[in-house]
Amino acid sequence: MSSTSETTKGMPTANGKQENVSSSDSSERVEARPKRWGMIIDQRRCIACHSCTIACKSENNVPLGYWRSWIKGIQKGRFPNVGNFYLRRLCNQCDVPPCVQVCPVQATVKREEDGVVVMYYGKCIGCGMCIAACPYDARFFNPFRSTADKCDFCVSRIDNGLKPACVEACVSRALVFGDLNDPSSEISQKLASVATSVIKPELGTKPKVYYIEADHSLKGRIIFSDDFKEGILEYHRHIPSPDASYWKKGEER
Amino acid sequence: MEAAVLYNVPHEIPWKVYIPLYFYFTGLSAGSFILSTLSTVFGIKRFKPMALPAAIISLVLLLLAPACLILDLNQPLRFWHTLVPEYFNRTSALSYGSWLLTFYPLANLIYIYFIFVKNDHITKILGTITVPLAIFVHAYTGFAFALVRARAWWHSALMPGYFLTSALLSGIALLLVVALIMDRYRREKLEPELYKSLRLMMIGILLVDLFWSGSFWLTLLVSTADGYASIMYALHEKSYVWGEFVTGMFVPLVILVLPWTREKKSWLCLASLLIIGGVFLMRYSVVFIGFAIPLS
Repeated sequence: MSSTSETTKGMPTANGKQENVSSSDSSERVEARPKRWGMIIDQRRCIACHSCTIACKSENNVPLGYWRSWIKGIQKGRFPNVGNFYLRRLCNQCDVPPCVQVCPVQATVKREEDGVVVMYYGKCIGCGMCIAACPYDARFFNPFRSTADKCDFCVSRIDNGLKPACVEACVSRALVFGDLNDPSSEISQKLASVATSVIKPELGTKPKVYYIEADHSLKGRIIFSDDFKEGILEYHRHIPSPDASYWKKGEER
Repeated sequence: MEAAVLYNVPHEIPWKVYIPLYFYFTGLSAGSFILSTLSTVFGIKRFKPMALPAAIISLVLLLLAPACLILDLNQPLRFWHTLVPEYFNRTSALSYGSWLLTFYPLANLIYIYFIFVKNDHITKILGTITVPLAIFVHAYTGFAFALVRARAWWHSALMPGYFLTSALLSGIALLLVVALIMDRYRREKLEPELYKSLRLMMIGILLVDLFWSGSFWLTLLVSTADGYASIMYALHEKSYVWGEFVTGMFVPLVILVLPWTREKKSWLCLASLLIIGGVFLMRYSVVFIGFAIPLS
Protein backbone atom coordinates (compact mmCIF):
# COMPACT_ATOMS: atom_id res chain seq x y z
CA MET A 1 0.00 0.00 0.00
CA SER A 2 2.73 2.45 0.97
CA SER A 3 4.74 1.80 -2.19
CA THR A 4 1.77 2.46 -4.47
CA SER A 5 0.87 5.68 -2.68
CA GLU A 6 4.48 6.86 -3.03
CA THR A 7 4.48 6.20 -6.73
CA THR A 8 1.11 7.94 -7.21
CA LYS A 9 2.48 10.91 -5.30
CA GLY A 10 5.46 11.17 -7.61
CA MET A 11 3.32 10.80 -10.71
CA PRO A 12 2.30 14.39 -11.55
CA THR A 13 5.80 15.84 -11.45
CA ALA A 14 7.66 16.07 -14.73
CA ASN A 15 10.78 14.53 -13.18
CA GLY A 16 9.01 11.38 -12.16
CA LYS A 17 7.52 10.92 -15.60
CA GLN A 18 10.82 11.35 -17.35
CA GLU A 19 12.48 8.87 -15.05
CA ASN A 20 9.84 6.30 -15.82
CA VAL A 21 10.12 6.78 -19.54
CA SER A 22 13.89 6.59 -19.52
CA SER A 23 13.99 3.41 -17.47
CA SER A 24 14.26 0.39 -19.69
CA ASP A 25 12.38 -1.97 -17.33
CA SER A 26 8.79 -2.07 -18.58
CA SER A 27 7.35 -3.44 -15.32
CA GLU A 28 8.61 -0.38 -13.46
CA ARG A 29 6.90 1.91 -15.94
CA VAL A 30 3.64 0.10 -15.39
CA GLU A 31 3.92 0.37 -11.62
CA ALA A 32 4.36 4.12 -11.77
CA ARG A 33 0.74 4.59 -12.88
CA PRO A 34 -2.05 4.24 -10.31
CA LYS A 35 -3.60 0.82 -10.53
CA ARG A 36 -7.24 0.30 -11.43
CA TRP A 37 -8.17 -3.24 -10.63
CA GLY A 38 -10.92 -4.80 -12.70
CA MET A 39 -12.27 -8.21 -13.53
CA ILE A 40 -13.64 -9.90 -16.61
CA ILE A 41 -15.99 -12.82 -16.19
CA ASP A 42 -15.96 -14.90 -19.35
CA GLN A 43 -19.33 -16.65 -19.43
CA ARG A 44 -18.19 -18.71 -22.42
CA ARG A 45 -15.69 -20.46 -20.22
CA CYS A 46 -17.66 -20.60 -16.96
CA ILE A 47 -18.89 -24.11 -16.19
CA ALA A 48 -20.81 -23.07 -13.04
CA CYS A 49 -18.73 -25.29 -10.76
CA HIS A 50 -19.07 -22.80 -7.87
CA SER A 51 -15.34 -22.98 -7.08
CA CYS A 52 -15.20 -19.19 -6.89
CA THR A 53 -18.05 -19.15 -4.36
CA ILE A 54 -16.31 -21.71 -2.15
CA ALA A 55 -12.90 -20.06 -2.47
CA CYS A 56 -14.43 -16.72 -1.53
CA LYS A 57 -16.15 -18.14 1.52
CA SER A 58 -13.06 -19.87 2.85
CA GLU A 59 -10.69 -17.00 2.05
CA ASN A 60 -12.84 -14.32 3.67
CA ASN A 61 -14.44 -16.46 6.39
CA VAL A 62 -17.96 -15.54 5.28
CA PRO A 63 -20.54 -16.93 7.75
CA LEU A 64 -22.93 -19.69 6.79
CA GLY A 65 -25.98 -18.39 4.98
CA TYR A 66 -24.17 -15.33 3.60
CA TRP A 67 -22.23 -14.83 0.40
CA ARG A 68 -19.77 -12.20 -0.81
CA SER A 69 -19.92 -13.71 -4.27
CA TRP A 70 -22.23 -16.28 -5.70
CA ILE A 71 -23.58 -17.70 -8.93
CA LYS A 72 -27.02 -16.99 -10.23
CA GLY A 73 -28.55 -19.76 -12.28
CA ILE A 74 -31.40 -19.40 -14.73
CA GLN A 75 -33.20 -21.79 -17.03
CA LYS A 76 -34.53 -20.53 -20.33
CA GLY A 77 -36.99 -21.96 -22.78
CA ARG A 78 -39.45 -24.82 -22.65
CA PHE A 79 -38.69 -28.55 -22.83
CA PRO A 80 -37.07 -29.95 -24.97
CA ASN A 81 -35.49 -26.67 -26.05
CA VAL A 82 -34.02 -25.49 -22.79
CA GLY A 83 -30.74 -24.04 -21.71
CA ASN A 84 -29.16 -23.38 -18.33
CA PHE A 85 -27.33 -20.11 -17.94
CA TYR A 86 -25.15 -18.90 -15.10
CA LEU A 87 -23.93 -15.54 -13.98
CA ARG A 88 -21.09 -15.10 -11.57
CA ARG A 89 -22.04 -12.29 -9.17
CA LEU A 90 -19.86 -10.19 -6.90
CA CYS A 91 -19.38 -6.58 -5.90
CA ASN A 92 -19.09 -4.64 -9.14
CA GLN A 93 -16.44 -2.27 -7.72
CA CYS A 94 -18.19 0.71 -9.28
CA ASP A 95 -16.23 3.78 -10.31
CA VAL A 96 -19.19 5.84 -9.00
CA PRO A 97 -20.17 3.69 -6.02
CA PRO A 98 -23.65 4.38 -4.61
CA CYS A 99 -22.64 2.77 -1.30
CA VAL A 100 -19.80 5.24 -0.80
CA GLN A 101 -22.17 8.06 -1.64
CA VAL A 102 -24.64 7.20 1.15
CA CYS A 103 -22.34 6.03 3.98
CA PRO A 104 -22.72 8.56 6.83
CA VAL A 105 -19.33 7.78 8.44
CA GLN A 106 -17.06 7.07 5.44
CA ALA A 107 -16.78 3.47 6.56
CA THR A 108 -16.77 2.39 2.93
CA VAL A 109 -14.53 4.25 0.49
CA LYS A 110 -13.11 3.87 -2.98
CA ARG A 111 -9.36 3.60 -2.53
CA GLU A 112 -7.52 6.22 -4.54
CA GLU A 113 -4.51 4.03 -5.28
CA ASP A 114 -6.40 1.22 -7.04
CA GLY A 115 -10.10 2.09 -7.24
CA VAL A 116 -11.21 -0.83 -5.07
CA VAL A 117 -14.23 -0.12 -2.87
CA VAL A 118 -13.26 -1.32 0.61
CA MET A 119 -14.96 -1.47 4.00
CA TYR A 120 -13.46 -0.12 7.21
CA TYR A 121 -15.15 -2.43 9.65
CA GLY A 122 -14.10 -0.46 12.71
CA LYS A 123 -15.84 2.68 11.50
CA CYS A 124 -19.06 1.05 10.31
CA ILE A 125 -22.05 1.76 12.56
CA GLY A 126 -24.26 -0.82 10.88
CA CYS A 127 -27.00 1.53 9.71
CA GLY A 128 -27.66 -0.53 6.58
CA MET A 129 -27.90 2.45 4.24
CA CYS A 130 -25.20 1.04 1.91
CA ILE A 131 -27.03 -2.30 1.77
CA ALA A 132 -30.21 -0.48 0.78
CA ALA A 133 -28.38 1.65 -1.78
CA CYS A 134 -26.39 -1.05 -3.61
CA PRO A 135 -28.07 -1.63 -6.99
CA TYR A 136 -26.44 -5.08 -7.25
CA ASP A 137 -27.50 -6.44 -3.85
CA ALA A 138 -23.84 -7.23 -3.23
CA ARG A 139 -23.79 -6.10 0.41
CA PHE A 140 -25.03 -7.78 3.55
CA PHE A 141 -24.77 -7.63 7.32
CA ASN A 142 -22.06 -9.92 8.60
CA PRO A 143 -23.55 -11.46 11.77
CA PHE A 144 -20.11 -11.98 13.35
CA ARG A 145 -18.80 -8.49 12.75
CA SER A 146 -22.23 -6.83 13.08
CA THR A 147 -21.24 -4.50 10.28
CA ALA A 148 -21.90 -4.30 6.57
CA ASP A 149 -19.70 -6.57 4.50
CA LYS A 150 -19.00 -7.14 0.84
CA CYS A 151 -16.54 -8.41 -1.73
CA ASP A 152 -13.40 -6.24 -1.85
CA PHE A 153 -11.40 -8.15 -4.50
CA CYS A 154 -9.60 -9.77 -1.51
CA VAL A 155 -7.69 -6.57 -0.63
CA SER A 156 -5.32 -8.37 1.68
CA ARG A 157 -4.28 -10.60 -1.24
CA ILE A 158 -4.05 -7.98 -3.98
CA ASP A 159 -2.07 -5.63 -1.72
CA ASN A 160 0.51 -8.40 -1.45
CA GLY A 161 0.71 -9.05 -5.15
CA LEU A 162 -1.62 -12.05 -5.27
CA LYS A 163 -4.79 -12.45 -7.28
CA PRO A 164 -8.23 -12.65 -5.58
CA ALA A 165 -9.08 -16.11 -4.24
CA CYS A 166 -11.86 -16.69 -6.77
CA VAL A 167 -9.52 -15.99 -9.71
CA GLU A 168 -6.95 -18.43 -8.34
CA ALA A 169 -9.62 -21.06 -7.81
CA CYS A 170 -11.32 -20.82 -11.21
CA VAL A 171 -10.85 -24.13 -13.03
CA SER A 172 -11.48 -22.87 -16.56
CA ARG A 173 -9.76 -19.47 -16.37
CA ALA A 174 -13.09 -17.77 -16.84
CA LEU A 175 -12.09 -15.03 -14.42
CA VAL A 176 -9.53 -12.52 -15.60
CA PHE A 177 -8.21 -10.10 -13.03
CA GLY A 178 -5.85 -7.26 -13.75
CA ASP A 179 -4.98 -3.61 -14.05
CA LEU A 180 -7.30 -1.66 -16.34
CA ASN A 181 -4.75 1.18 -16.55
CA ASP A 182 -2.08 -1.11 -17.96
CA PRO A 183 -2.65 -1.50 -21.71
CA SER A 184 -0.52 -4.64 -21.87
CA SER A 185 -2.41 -6.54 -19.19
CA GLU A 186 -4.55 -9.50 -20.18
CA ILE A 187 -7.73 -7.78 -19.01
CA SER A 188 -7.08 -4.64 -21.06
CA GLN A 189 -6.33 -6.65 -24.18
CA LYS A 190 -9.44 -8.72 -23.72
CA LEU A 191 -11.60 -5.65 -23.09
CA ALA A 192 -10.27 -4.11 -26.27
CA SER A 193 -10.88 -7.16 -28.44
CA VAL A 194 -14.06 -8.82 -27.11
CA ALA A 195 -17.59 -7.48 -26.74
CA THR A 196 -18.28 -7.04 -23.02
CA SER A 197 -21.15 -5.75 -20.95
CA VAL A 198 -21.77 -4.63 -17.39
CA ILE A 199 -24.80 -5.05 -15.14
CA LYS A 200 -27.22 -2.10 -15.02
CA PRO A 201 -25.13 0.36 -17.06
CA GLU A 202 -28.09 2.77 -17.11
CA LEU A 203 -27.53 3.66 -13.44
CA GLY A 204 -24.22 5.32 -14.26
CA THR A 205 -22.29 3.42 -11.59
CA LYS A 206 -19.56 2.44 -14.09
CA PRO A 207 -18.79 -1.06 -12.81
CA LYS A 208 -15.28 -2.47 -13.14
CA VAL A 209 -16.57 -6.04 -13.39
CA TYR A 210 -17.19 -6.88 -17.04
CA TYR A 211 -19.02 -9.86 -18.48
CA ILE A 212 -18.46 -11.64 -21.78
CA GLU A 213 -21.56 -13.18 -23.29
CA ALA A 214 -23.76 -12.79 -20.23
CA ASP A 215 -27.42 -13.53 -20.98
CA HIS A 216 -29.66 -10.48 -20.70
CA SER A 217 -32.28 -12.34 -18.69
CA LEU A 218 -29.65 -13.21 -16.09
CA LYS A 219 -28.81 -9.59 -15.51
CA GLY A 220 -32.38 -8.57 -14.83
CA ARG A 221 -33.71 -7.51 -11.49
CA ILE A 222 -36.86 -9.56 -11.49
CA ILE A 223 -37.92 -12.90 -12.84
CA PHE A 224 -38.18 -12.73 -16.60
CA SER A 225 -41.85 -13.41 -16.89
CA ASP A 226 -44.85 -11.56 -18.25
CA ASP A 227 -47.13 -12.80 -15.50
CA PHE A 228 -46.82 -10.36 -12.65
CA LYS A 229 -48.02 -12.73 -9.94
CA GLU A 230 -45.59 -15.44 -10.92
CA GLY A 231 -42.83 -12.93 -11.35
CA ILE A 232 -42.61 -10.53 -8.48
CA LEU A 233 -45.00 -11.86 -5.88
CA GLU A 234 -43.53 -15.35 -5.99
CA TYR A 235 -39.97 -14.10 -6.02
CA HIS A 236 -40.63 -11.79 -3.13
CA ARG A 237 -41.35 -14.74 -0.83
CA HIS A 238 -37.73 -15.78 -1.22
CA ILE A 239 -36.36 -12.52 0.12
CA PRO A 240 -35.52 -13.31 3.71
CA SER A 241 -36.97 -11.00 6.31
CA PRO A 242 -34.85 -9.91 9.29
CA ASP A 243 -37.09 -11.91 11.63
CA ALA A 244 -36.82 -15.18 9.74
CA SER A 245 -34.59 -17.31 11.94
CA TYR A 246 -33.97 -20.03 9.38
CA TRP A 247 -31.98 -17.60 7.32
CA LYS A 248 -29.54 -16.67 10.06
CA LYS A 249 -27.70 -19.93 10.09
CA GLY A 250 -24.50 -18.09 10.86
CA GLU A 251 -25.72 -17.09 14.29
CA GLU A 252 -26.43 -20.61 15.42
CA ARG A 253 -22.82 -21.61 15.27
CA MET B 1 -38.63 -16.27 -23.86
CA GLU B 2 -39.60 -18.10 -20.71
CA ALA B 3 -37.05 -18.06 -17.95
CA ALA B 4 -36.99 -19.30 -14.39
CA VAL B 5 -34.41 -18.57 -11.72
CA LEU B 6 -32.81 -21.82 -10.60
CA TYR B 7 -30.95 -20.28 -7.74
CA ASN B 8 -29.76 -16.89 -6.60
CA VAL B 9 -28.63 -15.21 -3.41
CA PRO B 10 -30.92 -12.50 -2.09
CA HIS B 11 -29.63 -10.66 0.96
CA GLU B 12 -31.86 -9.98 3.93
CA ILE B 13 -33.58 -6.62 4.41
CA PRO B 14 -31.19 -4.52 6.50
CA TRP B 15 -33.82 -2.40 8.25
CA LYS B 16 -36.39 -3.26 10.88
CA VAL B 17 -39.61 -1.49 11.82
CA TYR B 18 -37.63 1.13 13.79
CA ILE B 19 -36.79 2.96 10.58
CA PRO B 20 -40.40 3.76 9.53
CA LEU B 21 -41.10 4.52 13.20
CA TYR B 22 -38.22 6.97 13.18
CA PHE B 23 -39.52 8.71 10.05
CA TYR B 24 -42.92 8.80 11.65
CA PHE B 25 -41.68 10.39 14.87
CA THR B 26 -39.53 13.03 13.16
CA GLY B 27 -42.46 13.79 10.87
CA LEU B 28 -44.85 14.22 13.78
CA SER B 29 -42.25 16.31 15.56
CA ALA B 30 -41.57 18.61 12.60
CA GLY B 31 -45.31 18.98 11.94
CA SER B 32 -46.05 19.86 15.57
CA PHE B 33 -43.20 22.32 15.70
CA ILE B 34 -44.29 24.16 12.57
CA LEU B 35 -47.81 24.35 14.01
CA SER B 36 -46.38 25.76 17.22
CA THR B 37 -44.61 28.53 15.32
CA LEU B 38 -47.83 29.62 13.58
CA SER B 39 -48.65 31.86 16.54
CA THR B 40 -45.15 32.68 17.79
CA VAL B 41 -43.49 33.45 14.44
CA PHE B 42 -46.26 34.05 11.94
CA GLY B 43 -48.49 35.82 14.45
CA ILE B 44 -51.75 33.92 13.91
CA LYS B 45 -53.29 34.59 17.33
CA ARG B 46 -55.85 31.79 17.25
CA PHE B 47 -53.10 29.16 17.56
CA LYS B 48 -51.67 30.82 20.65
CA PRO B 49 -52.96 28.21 23.16
CA MET B 50 -51.40 25.44 21.07
CA ALA B 51 -47.88 26.91 20.93
CA LEU B 52 -46.53 25.41 24.16
CA PRO B 53 -48.13 21.93 24.00
CA ALA B 54 -47.15 21.61 20.34
CA ALA B 55 -43.53 22.50 21.09
CA ILE B 56 -43.38 20.09 24.04
CA ILE B 57 -44.85 17.24 21.95
CA SER B 58 -42.34 17.99 19.24
CA LEU B 59 -39.45 17.79 21.73
CA VAL B 60 -40.65 14.51 23.28
CA LEU B 61 -41.05 12.92 19.85
CA LEU B 62 -37.61 14.15 18.91
CA LEU B 63 -36.13 12.28 21.84
CA LEU B 64 -37.89 9.09 20.70
CA ALA B 65 -36.82 9.45 17.06
CA PRO B 66 -33.02 9.17 17.40
CA ALA B 67 -33.57 6.38 19.95
CA CYS B 68 -35.32 4.42 17.19
CA LEU B 69 -32.43 5.13 14.81
CA ILE B 70 -29.84 3.96 17.32
CA LEU B 71 -31.88 0.84 18.13
CA ASP B 72 -31.81 -0.10 14.46
CA LEU B 73 -28.03 0.16 14.19
CA ASN B 74 -26.14 -3.12 14.20
CA GLN B 75 -23.42 -1.35 16.18
CA PRO B 76 -25.49 0.93 18.47
CA LEU B 77 -22.50 1.94 20.61
CA ARG B 78 -20.82 3.47 17.56
CA PHE B 79 -23.63 5.98 16.88
CA TRP B 80 -21.26 8.83 17.79
CA HIS B 81 -19.23 8.10 14.65
CA THR B 82 -21.85 10.10 12.74
CA LEU B 83 -20.88 13.21 14.72
CA VAL B 84 -17.12 12.97 14.19
CA PRO B 85 -16.26 15.82 11.78
CA GLU B 86 -13.49 13.76 10.21
CA TYR B 87 -15.95 11.04 9.22
CA PHE B 88 -18.46 13.48 7.69
CA ASN B 89 -19.49 12.43 4.19
CA ARG B 90 -20.73 15.41 2.21
CA THR B 91 -22.64 13.29 -0.29
CA SER B 92 -24.57 11.40 2.39
CA ALA B 93 -27.96 12.67 3.52
CA LEU B 94 -27.53 10.70 6.73
CA SER B 95 -24.40 12.67 7.64
CA TYR B 96 -26.30 15.95 7.47
CA GLY B 97 -29.25 14.33 9.22
CA SER B 98 -27.29 13.27 12.26
CA TRP B 99 -26.07 16.84 12.79
CA LEU B 100 -29.58 18.20 12.28
CA LEU B 101 -30.91 15.67 14.78
CA THR B 102 -28.37 16.98 17.29
CA PHE B 103 -29.00 20.69 16.86
CA TYR B 104 -32.75 20.67 16.34
CA PRO B 105 -33.73 19.28 19.80
CA LEU B 106 -31.37 21.76 21.46
CA ALA B 107 -32.89 24.69 19.56
CA ASN B 108 -36.31 23.29 20.34
CA LEU B 109 -35.54 23.13 24.06
CA ILE B 110 -34.40 26.77 24.19
CA TYR B 111 -37.48 27.78 22.20
CA ILE B 112 -39.76 25.98 24.71
CA TYR B 113 -38.04 27.76 27.59
CA PHE B 114 -38.78 31.16 26.10
CA ILE B 115 -42.43 30.31 25.39
CA PHE B 116 -42.64 29.13 28.98
CA VAL B 117 -41.32 32.42 30.40
CA LYS B 118 -43.61 34.27 27.91
CA ASN B 119 -40.83 36.30 26.27
CA ASP B 120 -42.55 36.82 22.91
CA HIS B 121 -39.76 38.74 21.23
CA ILE B 122 -37.01 36.19 21.80
CA THR B 123 -39.47 33.37 21.08
CA LYS B 124 -40.12 34.87 17.66
CA ILE B 125 -36.41 35.13 16.85
CA LEU B 126 -35.70 31.59 18.06
CA GLY B 127 -38.75 30.22 16.24
CA THR B 128 -37.61 31.85 13.00
CA ILE B 129 -34.23 30.17 13.34
CA THR B 130 -35.68 26.79 14.27
CA VAL B 131 -38.37 26.55 11.53
CA PRO B 132 -35.82 25.87 8.76
CA LEU B 133 -34.16 23.30 11.04
CA ALA B 134 -37.53 21.59 11.54
CA ILE B 135 -38.14 21.55 7.80
CA PHE B 136 -34.66 20.23 7.00
CA VAL B 137 -34.72 17.60 9.72
CA HIS B 138 -37.63 16.02 7.97
CA ALA B 139 -36.75 16.86 4.38
CA TYR B 140 -33.38 15.13 4.77
CA THR B 141 -35.15 11.82 5.37
CA GLY B 142 -36.88 12.34 2.04
CA PHE B 143 -33.48 13.00 0.44
CA ALA B 144 -32.05 9.89 2.08
CA PHE B 145 -34.51 7.96 -0.08
CA ALA B 146 -34.50 10.18 -3.15
CA LEU B 147 -30.72 9.88 -3.49
CA VAL B 148 -30.77 6.07 -3.70
CA ARG B 149 -30.59 5.34 -7.40
CA ALA B 150 -30.84 1.59 -6.90
CA ARG B 151 -34.52 1.49 -6.00
CA ALA B 152 -37.08 3.02 -8.36
CA TRP B 153 -39.66 3.24 -5.59
CA TRP B 154 -37.44 5.69 -3.68
CA HIS B 155 -35.51 7.43 -6.44
CA SER B 156 -37.93 10.27 -7.03
CA ALA B 157 -37.63 14.04 -6.83
CA LEU B 158 -41.07 14.17 -5.22
CA MET B 159 -39.93 12.22 -2.17
CA PRO B 160 -38.74 15.12 0.06
CA GLY B 161 -41.89 17.12 -0.68
CA TYR B 162 -44.10 14.12 -0.02
CA PHE B 163 -42.33 13.48 3.27
CA LEU B 164 -42.73 17.12 4.32
CA THR B 165 -46.43 17.39 3.55
CA SER B 166 -47.27 14.11 5.26
CA ALA B 167 -45.19 15.26 8.24
CA LEU B 168 -47.31 18.41 8.45
CA LEU B 169 -50.46 16.34 8.04
CA SER B 170 -49.64 13.97 10.88
CA GLY B 171 -48.51 16.90 13.06
CA ILE B 172 -51.80 18.74 12.57
CA ALA B 173 -53.84 15.59 13.18
CA LEU B 174 -51.95 14.89 16.41
CA LEU B 175 -52.40 18.48 17.56
CA LEU B 176 -56.13 18.30 16.84
CA VAL B 177 -56.41 15.27 19.12
CA VAL B 178 -54.38 17.11 21.78
CA ALA B 179 -56.62 20.18 21.39
CA LEU B 180 -59.71 18.03 21.91
CA ILE B 181 -58.21 16.56 25.08
CA MET B 182 -57.21 20.04 26.31
CA ASP B 183 -60.70 21.33 25.61
CA ARG B 184 -62.17 18.60 27.73
CA TYR B 185 -59.95 19.00 30.79
CA ARG B 186 -59.04 22.70 30.80
CA ARG B 187 -61.13 25.42 32.35
CA GLU B 188 -60.87 27.98 29.55
CA LYS B 189 -62.26 26.56 26.31
CA LEU B 190 -60.54 26.80 22.91
CA GLU B 191 -62.37 28.81 20.29
CA PRO B 192 -64.19 26.80 17.58
CA GLU B 193 -62.35 28.85 14.93
CA LEU B 194 -59.19 26.90 15.85
CA TYR B 195 -60.81 23.61 14.88
CA LYS B 196 -62.04 25.09 11.64
CA SER B 197 -58.60 26.26 10.58
CA LEU B 198 -56.97 22.97 11.62
CA ARG B 199 -59.61 21.11 9.61
CA LEU B 200 -59.13 23.26 6.52
CA MET B 201 -55.35 22.81 6.74
CA MET B 202 -55.79 19.04 6.95
CA ILE B 203 -58.07 18.99 3.89
CA GLY B 204 -55.59 21.08 1.91
CA ILE B 205 -52.60 18.93 2.81
CA LEU B 206 -54.54 15.70 2.24
CA LEU B 207 -55.27 16.89 -1.28
CA VAL B 208 -51.60 17.74 -1.83
CA ASP B 209 -50.64 14.27 -0.56
CA LEU B 210 -53.11 12.65 -2.92
CA PHE B 211 -51.63 14.69 -5.74
CA TRP B 212 -48.12 13.45 -4.88
CA SER B 213 -49.38 9.85 -4.77
CA GLY B 214 -51.13 10.22 -8.12
CA SER B 215 -47.94 11.61 -9.64
CA PHE B 216 -45.99 8.65 -8.23
CA TRP B 217 -48.42 6.14 -9.66
CA LEU B 218 -48.51 7.68 -13.12
CA THR B 219 -44.76 8.07 -13.45
CA LEU B 220 -44.00 4.61 -12.05
CA LEU B 221 -46.53 2.91 -14.32
CA VAL B 222 -44.56 4.07 -17.38
CA SER B 223 -41.17 3.76 -15.69
CA THR B 224 -38.42 1.12 -15.94
CA ALA B 225 -39.06 -2.56 -15.16
CA ASP B 226 -38.18 -1.85 -11.53
CA GLY B 227 -40.55 1.09 -11.25
CA TYR B 228 -43.38 -0.80 -12.88
CA ALA B 229 -42.74 -3.78 -10.60
CA SER B 230 -42.82 -1.58 -7.50
CA ILE B 231 -46.10 0.11 -8.35
CA MET B 232 -47.69 -3.22 -9.28
CA TYR B 233 -46.43 -4.71 -6.06
CA ALA B 234 -47.76 -1.73 -4.10
CA LEU B 235 -51.19 -1.98 -5.70
CA HIS B 236 -51.32 -5.65 -4.69
CA GLU B 237 -50.40 -4.80 -1.10
CA LYS B 238 -53.46 -4.54 1.15
CA SER B 239 -51.81 -2.29 3.76
CA TYR B 240 -50.91 0.15 1.00
CA VAL B 241 -54.25 0.36 -0.80
CA TRP B 242 -56.73 -0.27 2.00
CA GLY B 243 -54.62 0.93 4.93
CA GLU B 244 -52.76 3.92 3.61
CA PHE B 245 -55.14 5.21 0.99
CA VAL B 246 -58.67 4.17 1.86
CA THR B 247 -58.64 4.37 5.66
CA GLY B 248 -55.70 6.75 5.96
CA MET B 249 -56.65 9.32 3.34
CA PHE B 250 -60.04 8.92 1.65
CA VAL B 251 -62.16 8.20 4.75
CA PRO B 252 -60.69 11.12 6.77
CA LEU B 253 -61.07 13.37 3.73
CA VAL B 254 -64.77 12.47 3.46
CA ILE B 255 -65.27 12.98 7.21
CA LEU B 256 -63.57 16.38 7.09
CA VAL B 257 -65.52 17.55 4.04
CA LEU B 258 -69.08 16.30 4.67
CA PRO B 259 -71.20 18.99 6.41
CA TRP B 260 -72.88 16.60 8.87
CA THR B 261 -69.65 15.09 10.20
CA ARG B 262 -67.17 17.95 10.04
CA GLU B 263 -68.73 19.98 12.90
CA LYS B 264 -68.82 17.11 15.41
CA LYS B 265 -65.75 16.75 17.60
CA SER B 266 -65.99 12.95 17.80
CA TRP B 267 -65.83 12.68 14.01
CA LEU B 268 -62.93 15.14 13.88
CA CYS B 269 -61.11 13.02 16.46
CA LEU B 270 -61.75 9.84 14.45
CA ALA B 271 -60.51 11.48 11.24
CA SER B 272 -57.35 12.69 13.01
CA LEU B 273 -56.63 9.26 14.44
CA LEU B 274 -57.11 7.67 11.02
CA ILE B 275 -54.72 10.20 9.50
CA ILE B 276 -52.12 9.53 12.21
CA GLY B 277 -52.34 5.81 11.45
CA GLY B 278 -52.33 6.37 7.69
CA VAL B 279 -49.15 8.45 7.80
CA PHE B 280 -47.38 5.66 9.69
CA LEU B 281 -48.48 3.20 7.00
CA MET B 282 -47.15 5.62 4.38
CA ARG B 283 -43.70 5.57 6.03
CA TYR B 284 -43.89 1.81 6.34
CA SER B 285 -44.81 1.25 2.71
CA VAL B 286 -42.18 3.68 1.43
CA VAL B 287 -39.48 1.74 3.26
CA PHE B 288 -40.57 -1.85 2.79
CA ILE B 289 -42.11 -1.81 -0.69
CA GLY B 290 -38.75 -0.40 -1.76
CA PHE B 291 -37.09 -3.51 -0.35
CA ALA B 292 -39.71 -5.87 -1.78
CA ILE B 293 -38.39 -5.55 -5.32
CA PRO B 294 -35.38 -7.84 -5.79
CA LEU B 295 -32.32 -6.21 -7.31
CA SER B 296 -30.27 -9.17 -8.49
